[in-house]
Amino acid sequence: MSFTQPSSVPLPPPDAEVNIICCEYCPVACAYKAYTWPLGRDGGPSAADNALGVDFPTALLSGAWPSENMHNVILRNGRPHNVIVIPDKDTQAVNIGGTHSVRGGAIAKKFYNPNSPTADRYKTPLLRVRGDLIPISWDMAFDLVARLSTHTIENYGELAWGMKIYSYQFYENVFSASKLAFGEIGSPNYSPHHAPAEGDDVPGLSDTGIDAFGSSFEDDKEADVIMISGSDPYETKTVRFTTWQQPGGAKLIYVDPRKTFTAAYALKNGGLHLQLNPGTDVALYNAMVREVIAQGWEDKEFVDRYTASRSELNEETKWRRAMFGMSFDEIREYVFSRDEFTLEGAEGITGVPADQIRQAAALLTGGGGARPKAMILFEKGLYWSHNYENTAAIGNLGVLIGATGQPGRATGRMGGHQRGGQKAAGYPMDKSPHFYEGNPVEMDTERWLVEGNTRFRWVVGTNWIGAMGATQALAARVRELTSIGPTVASTNVDTAFEQLRSRIDEGGMVVVHQEIYPNDSTQYADLVLAAGAWGEDNYARNNAERRLRIYEKIADTPGQSLPDWKIFASVAQRMGYGGFDWPDTNAIFEEAGPKSAGGRRDFSALVELAQERGVRAHDLLREFGTTGIQTPIVRDGDQLVGTARLHANLEWNTNSGKANFVMPDWDAVAARNAQIGPQGDEVWVLNGRINHVWNNLFDFMRREYSTQRWPMNFLEVNPDDAQRWGIESGDLLSIESDNVIDQLGGRTTGSFTAVAYVADTVPPGVTFTYFLFPGSPANSVTPGDSNLQPINLRYNFKLGKGRVTKIGTTDLVGRMSFVPRNLV
Amino acid sequence: MAELTRREFLLIGTAGGAVVAVGVILPLSQLAKDQPEAVAGSTTTTTTATSPPTTAAPAAVVGVFPRVRVASLGEVNATDPITFDYPLQGQRNVLVKLGVPASAGVGPDQDIVAYSSLCTHMGCVVEEYRPEHRALGPCPCHFSTFDLANDGMVSLGQATQNLPRVLLEIEADDVYATGVVRLVYGFANTLQGADSVEVS
Ligand code: SF4
Ligand code: FES
Repeated sequence: MSFTQPSSVPLPPPDAEVNIICCEYCPVACAYKAYTWPLGRDGGPSAADNALGVDFPTALLSGAWPSENMHNVILRNGRPHNVIVIPDKDTQAVNIGGTHSVRGGAIAKKFYNPNSPTADRYKTPLLRVRGDLIPISWDMAFDLVARLSTHTIENYGELAWGMKIYSYQFYENVFSASKLAFGEIGSPNYSPHHAPAEGDDVPGLSDTGIDAFGSSFEDDKEADVIMISGSDPYETKTVRFTTWQQPGGAKLIYVDPRKTFTAAYALKNGGLHLQLNPGTDVALYNAMVREVIAQGWEDKEFVDRYTASRSELNEETKWRRAMFGMSFDEIREYVFSRDEFTLEGAEGITGVPADQIRQAAALLTGGGGARPKAMILFEKGLYWSHNYENTAAIGNLGVLIGATGQPGRATGRMGGHQRGGQKAAGYPMDKSPHFYEGNPVEMDTERWLVEGNTRFRWVVGTNWIGAMGATQALAARVRELTSIGPTVASTNVDTAFEQLRSRIDEGGMVVVHQEIYPNDSTQYADLVLAAGAWGEDNYARNNAERRLRIYEKIADTPGQSLPDWKIFASVAQRMGYGGFDWPDTNAIFEEAGPKSAGGRRDFSALVELAQERGVRAHDLLREFGTTGIQTPIVRDGDQLVGTARLHANLEWNTNSGKANFVMPDWDAVAARNAQIGPQGDEVWVLNGRINHVWNNLFDFMRREYSTQRWPMNFLEVNPDDAQRWGIESGDLLSIESDNVIDQLGGRTTGSFTAVAYVADTVPPGVTFTYFLFPGSPANSVTPGDSNLQPINLRYNFKLGKGRVTKIGTTDLVGRMSFVPRNLV
Repeated sequence: MAELTRREFLLIGTAGGAVVAVGVILPLSQLAKDQPEAVAGSTTTTTTATSPPTTAAPAAVVGVFPRVRVASLGEVNATDPITFDYPLQGQRNVLVKLGVPASAGVGPDQDIVAYSSLCTHMGCVVEEYRPEHRALGPCPCHFSTFDLANDGMVSLGQATQNLPRVLLEIEADDVYATGVVRLVYGFANTLQGADSVEVS
């Protein structure tokens, strides 16, 4: 007999309050329910005695078991409550049966609880005085931000006023920020967390006319074959894999330089793993296009009826489509004119055996037999390697086989985050200082900043410096710009304003960071604005299949922190702008409705119907429960009808309404690879996401369950390389390069450290690391010059390189798992 | 917005799931560490390790783990885990000799461990053991794999908790189970909801 205390989890009593919410993290957006009840009134293990309505112990796959990490204690309406956040076992969409991943499954731990590692949530605004951040009042914070903004705009123009902001946030927050930045100030100096410029992330695909988020998860189940490039769905879009792709049984063609879990799964289940050399995607897809045409395996009816002819392309009014759009004859001519795109030529470039390229072409098309339902999905491993060319090349393949708009047939993104990017006003392209062959492109805000043109930068919800290429060069320049002029030496609002104003006038830059936690970029902030988070107000957002759902408020915001929209609105009002007096998020959502009309995320019909019925739009959305409704939403009398897939009407987003082929320029890619690839004793240092964590780990570094697994950043090293370099799992590594391309096209140095994870996931000459681990600036060894890709100003994030050396050991062996992560 | 002080939070509960009114539960983080796990001999009232005593209802022990012989030392081997139910019927576990010392290992080589084989994702039985990696998995349902040399942590997968670890003791040439840390899949309390194995 022993007196060890048994583990337990409190159960919600039958009268617990129930809120619906979706997971905060990946673009799948699984549905959850949050049960809250005051402390000390727990439910019991029989179905009648708990709000889950199940008997404990629950059956396997019941979706009704709250693990200990699904419980927390929160403040709700000022009083302590238990909360269980558990996947919704009854949901009719997305995570049917209550499936979930390791990330979302423990999301209850996200909530602020001062007796947990979340204790360091920002609770008041802060001002940096003589080097340290100290609490100030909101009144003072709003006053400073408004006056410094106005001073900047009046004296240096709106291009000197910049905003760097999450693009994945809720509709209500993005709308309010953009109403200020675009609608009132009208600055093009605005960019998302993941890129140096606003605009399209997958321009090559967009120029085919195919929407990047046109399909439903149903289609993944319906498909016979799915080609997935540059994204491991099991690791990073988990429930899309476990609930839709895996049960659907499609054969997978997995394209990735790494042999990840899904690569191993594909091989085990009759699919293929095309293990290409980094940066060679265009050669691979061009060779597949050539092989398909050579064999006559293309979808001839689709190509004949639904792709644009040369004369139709000549009518294109968008410069990019006019410049790069191709007819079928033209793409055929291009891929057949070059030896690189023969099977053998492509093998020489990509390292993928000719035979496998042919098999992939056959699998995707049926190889002359019955045509399978085929999908082509991709994400950042593809489009952050080479942006325009890679998305064009893979899009061409989709067009060639007619993979668009029909059940089980689609081409598009896996997605990186959820979608709430409805702006209040258009991007002021006419003010952008950057051009491609005379055509305006969205401003590269980082280059602009490094050149010293940004005097005021408002950073919202991102570790912005770590998230940009050539991180350390950017950091050095930011340090320089924020060190000009006097130091703030007083919490007197006028003195502080004068001192920061002097910085601006002397050519420096003031940085405001609106955040929930400190991160690697906070050290450069003059002011910190304490923001609210997921579950702390009522919001709405789409997932990667355009499914719109309500995210209800569950907990109070910590301390005096404020939801983002309130911060934007308060500053806007101080700057004298009208139209920011929203009483709540519903009012913003209703204002955003009409602005969404005609687009992928059109929810104007929902707002319209709500107003006709005299109910709040958020409340009408709540009636759709965790199932939500897919945008664009259309009216059918008194009913709202969602849209399962785009292009079902056989129309694409081009002038002709037909799909285009797009120039997949291998020469541009080959030249760029030569500029940015490894030199001398360097190897590729690829980066990306992993299963356990999300983005900059803002939540996950504050979750014991995650930090035991990943106490620090890692570098995957092939066993042969490890032997050559004298490295074992658990060693501390330095990764460095002295020829990283910086924001202005010069050469700079970059380095970071990580623990060695020796694994056969990477081939020799290729290593892999997490892209944004706190304290480990992996983007220091990735290029930071958007001029490398002038058509659309984006970084080659996934093509880092460096020299790897052991600099010591860690204490992690025996405490962190080094088990291979690709066991099937 | 009113805010509770840190002290108030400590009085009312902990991040790990302890709620005083039900009884007495050590915070997860405390249980997970390699402290002396069996608090045998202590009084029947216990408080959370980090909180001061509370004025809530008097605490009571919720249940008692049986001490059960699982196998002889000679039977425990490095390739085929021994399966056994503990502490309740239907709570399946695997007992294995890892071949390398582990922080929680017992026996002459400090490498004998036992973990629940009910996957802490959604409850499927995960019993495929990979001796070369000292890993249990992948789970047949959604492929979670657990590192038995590192406290049952998920090396890759979707479970939101390490596998519950069975506390072991060696007496003479026998291995005994004496308790379990972490919550077993499906249960709201590891000791409630089925008959004890001692009953069978
Ligand atoms: S799969 Fe994505 S949305 Fe679903 S629980 Fe995991 S992180 Fe959240
Ligand atoms: S039940 Fe084991 S991974 Fe889902």
